[in-house]
Amino acid sequence: MLLVVTYSRAARRSLRNACRTHEDCVVRRFGRAVLLEASVFGAFLALRLRADHGGDVQVERTRPLNEFEDIPEEVREAATAYADRDHPSTPYAKFAAGTDHPDPDAMKAREL
Amino acid sequence: MMLEAGGIVRTGRAIDARNVPVDGATVAAAVRGEQTPITVENPAPRPVHERVGYVRPEMGVSVRTALAAAARSRGLSAPQDDDIAAVREQLADIEVPEIATNTVRREFAAADTETERLEERVAELRGRVQVLREQGTDEAVAEAEAALTSAVRDLSEVATDRTAASQRLDRDRLRDARDARERRLRLEDEVANLERAARASLVAELRGAYAAAVADAPGPSPADPFEADPVTAALAVGRVADLRAPVVLACDRFRVPAAAASWLDAPVVRV
Repeated sequence: MLLVVTYSRAARRSLRNACRTHEDCVVRRFGRAVLLEASVFGAFLALRLRADHGGDVQVERTRPLNEFEDIPEEVREAATAYADRDHPSTPYAKFAAGTDHPDPDAMKAREL
Repeated sequence: MMLEAGGIVRTGRAIDARNVPVDGATVAAAVRGEQTPITVENPAPRPVHERVGYVRPEMGVSVRTALAAAARSRGLSAPQDDDIAAVREQLADIEVPEIATNTVRREFAAADTETERLEERVAELRGRVQVLREQGTDEAVAEAEAALTSAVRDLSEVATDRTAASQRLDRDRLRDARDARERRLRLEDEVANLERAARASLVAELRGAYAAAVADAPGPSPADPFEADPVTAALAVGRVADLRAPVVLACDRFRVPAAAASWLDAPVVRV
């Protein structure tokens, strides 16, 4: 999908108008940002906004995440275990220390 | 006030220009100080004049905006004025770095195509070297090996370019530029909200005077003064405003221009 984020009042207004006119291309709207269908027409809308508003329009490409395919098992397990922790105030780094759960810095250094 | 058009000169506080060869839009433009074929000498218009300075049946009036401008013409202020000035000052101080990534992305895409082409060439040359080693002359092998070395070198150069291009797409720099834009947008929204509140407060101050003017205005009187027809609304706003510059009237509400000038307490040109 295409994530379009606007950074000015004029760009936000154009985005709103474009979304109203082309509702079928809109996956989800978030105020001054929107997720568009990954169609060439979605790209056309995004590029048209950028042509009008330059740097006030950010366009990124997103794709769905399948955690069972894209994310190492120990990371998934760590997330579940941490969500299930006994003390809600324990930060993750402390929670992971001395266990098999991955260290936050190690995870940050590792690309998906 | 003095009006000159096509050699005809009229003076006074209430001018009847119906027999003068000029249209209302031209007179209104001349009153605003724009270049026109005619000459109008008048005091400089205030901002409210833009809203109700040219009264005609086909006009559109945003009553609340016009009424807020009328309040300003009378020297009224809103409690939000200081905050508006402060936020505007903050806005002026924001420096927004340019985001001109178009060329960078194009270079990046071009480098990518070039990488693919060179990768294919390297693979092809590797294959040829292998075949020639089995069945070719020493000379042919040496030649193919030289070509392979050169293709590998080209590939690594393009790969370096690609890294450089990707570094120029530097996320941190973009993030800073976008943070600044986000701050600017927040402040612009803040100004817009404050201005809306200021307008509401100015409108509240003149609401009574405006309703009375609508009731007193010649022509139809609506139940809700904010639903008045555009001519009535514009005249009523004009009556509560301190207009200073002449109002151009293209409507039949007053018997004579002098009556309009006295009702509006402003100079008038009837067209």
